[in-house]
Amino acid sequence: MELKITDLTKQFKEVAAVDGVSCTMTGGVYGLLGANGAGKTTLMRMLCTLNTPTSGQITWDGQDIFSMAEAYRRILGYLPQDFGYYPDFTVEDYMLYIASIKGLRPVVAKRRTAELIRQVGLDKASGRKMKKLSGGMKRRAGIAQAMLNDPQILILDEPTAGLDPTERIRFRNLISELSEERIVLLSTHIVSDVEYIAKEILLMKDGRFICRGTADELIASMPERVWSLTVPKKEAEGYLRRYKVSNVKAVPNGAQLRILSAEPPAGMQSAQLQEATLEDVFLYHFGERSGDGNGEV
Amino acid sequence: MVKYEIKKVFARRGGVIALLIMLVLTVYTCWFATNSSSEWVNENGDTETGYHAMVKKREAQRAWSGILDEEKIRRVIEENLRITSTPEYNSKDVRLSNIAFGWGQGIHEIRGLLNHYFAVDFQTSDYYRANSLTPDMAGEFYPNRIRLLKEFLADEANGSYYRFSDAEKDWMIRQYEALKTPFYVDYMQGWDNVLTYYPTVSMILIMVLGYLMAGIFSNEFQWKSDSIFFSSAHGRNSAIRAKLAAGFLIVTAVYWAAILVYSLTVLGYLGFYGASCPLQASGRWKSFYNLTNAQAYLIVILGGYIGCVFIAFLTMLISACSRSTVLGVMTPVLIIFLPNFIQNLSFDAVIIDKILALLPARLLELNMELVYFDLFDFGGFVTGALPVAIALYVILSAALPPVIYREYRRKEIM
Repeated sequence: MELKITDLTKQFKEVAAVDGVSCTMTGGVYGLLGANGAGKTTLMRMLCTLNTPTSGQITWDGQDIFSMAEAYRRILGYLPQDFGYYPDFTVEDYMLYIASIKGLRPVVAKRRTAELIRQVGLDKASGRKMKKLSGGMKRRAGIAQAMLNDPQILILDEPTAGLDPTERIRFRNLISELSEERIVLLSTHIVSDVEYIAKEILLMKDGRFICRGTADELIASMPERVWSLTVPKKEAEGYLRRYKVSNVKAVPNGAQLRILSAEPPAGMQSAQLQEATLEDVFLYHFGERSGDGNGEV
Repeated sequence: MVKYEIKKVFARRGGVIALLIMLVLTVYTCWFATNSSSEWVNENGDTETGYHAMVKKREAQRAWSGILDEEKIRRVIEENLRITSTPEYNSKDVRLSNIAFGWGQGIHEIRGLLNHYFAVDFQTSDYYRANSLTPDMAGEFYPNRIRLLKEFLADEANGSYYRFSDAEKDWMIRQYEALKTPFYVDYMQGWDNVLTYYPTVSMILIMVLGYLMAGIFSNEFQWKSDSIFFSSAHGRNSAIRAKLAAGFLIVTAVYWAAILVYSLTVLGYLGFYGASCPLQASGRWKSFYNLTNAQAYLIVILGGYIGCVFIAFLTMLISACSRSTVLGVMTPVLIIFLPNFIQNLSFDAVIIDKILALLPARLLELNMELVYFDLFDFGGFVTGALPVAIALYVILSAALPPVIYREYRRKEIM
């Protein structure tokens, strides 16, 4: 079980959405972390044979996935970022239809549909039309359809987008459950989605992998350290301009800041060194964008 | 897969509403087609309407059914002369005049044929021509039709002399001469009306079918379900074939269901009588297609079906390529209005006629083509436009699905 990406590029006119990325995935959860527009979705679409690469290759156990065509798609499950569905189908009809285009025999399709609907907690809503489901329920239906063919490769593009915290935790646990004996590639810009469940995290920026490893390895590789300090409120603005600040908390005597810096912030010998987290790593790499609201942590 | 593709079409409220609209309009057309010929003028000169009036008229005309030989033609001329010489017929009193008209309802259709077959020339229609005939002219009835055509084709003044090639003229004359005479006449209002009102049904059908077909491919993009569709095992092969099959089945089922409802209602009401009568025993007397009413209707509805299948596939192709359901819905509308646009082009009229005869919209109104003088000369092999149009669109309809399949399977997600 080896999904190998070699020097993969996808060019859209002047822009390289994916720019010469390479990696090898075996079993387990892989987190693809990056700000919006980093190229995650384009990469995933190529992995799902929805877009053809401009150059480079993707192989499954040594075979080109585009040459494998149907044989490859048989072992693939995909939940796209914009999860589209058939609004007037019931959940059960939707699942049975997807099962049919995934090539499941009717008997197997019925069994798998029943199992998965139960597993994702939609048994009471199985007769309800897709358009009547809540956002969280739709996402659960989405993951259920991706699992119908018991795929060896499960690709989930921003699966938790728009979910409330409870749904997000529930979803994360579900993905963790499903990750046994398969490759799960989970793209997100929400650090907590992958922090605890990913075997390896790939940080993607401007179409390239800029950093990769386990959560601990990524934290260890960050050249800056994390400092906590409390400053008067009127001075907080100045720190926000000069440093990458991963958190600001209002306290009675001012503002408590969490700052990324190689040295203690200038003039603040009282700053306390803190243990870095993956959120700090994200801020370190994508900090300049976090102010735009893209680097949700 | 096919079952779910069909379900996608009809699970939408719009799909069901479209079918209901079609049903209502088809029923309305049936009502119109049956009601328009259900008048009977009774012995008092009053007009009766409804089913019983239609039955009286039918029975009166059926009394004159049979081989329209010289003897029967003579009897019709005599009967017509008898009626037209009565004081009632010549009276200025409307009631008396109506009473006289009522006496002639039995021979009304044959009298109409006399007007046509004894016309002054091919292009002139005179309702009172039969009144000037004498019984001894009965023998000229059938030869007259051929004579009128020959004179028409030879007349340099009316343009037809130049419009048709010599081979085409010969072919038309041969077709006229090949009509088996004397032919059988019967009450044939059912077949006449079912042919006349067919284009109304076919136009309703293609609009509804276009609406139903337009989303089969493009809705995957509009619902954003395309990613899952194309990344599934069969998403780039048999799932597309299932869409094509679903489209074809919907067109076939809806078309034939509507045609069955329409045909059985109209013919069931007015009667199936006259199925074996030739087209030339009616207002379609000029037709060079030697077909019976039943054969002609079968060809018309078959041609309409081929037209609907072609337009449906074209709608699917356009919506699949453009990813737009709106463009798909517009396709049948444009096809129907295209002939009006072409007619306004300042090209040679013969070329325009030939183009119009081969447009897909014509397949939806082949009842008109039965009487149009559209001919094609393929290096000496002459034939009417009807078989050419049918053959052409059978080929094109068969060629479109592979094109749609190839176009759709290589779609990338944007």
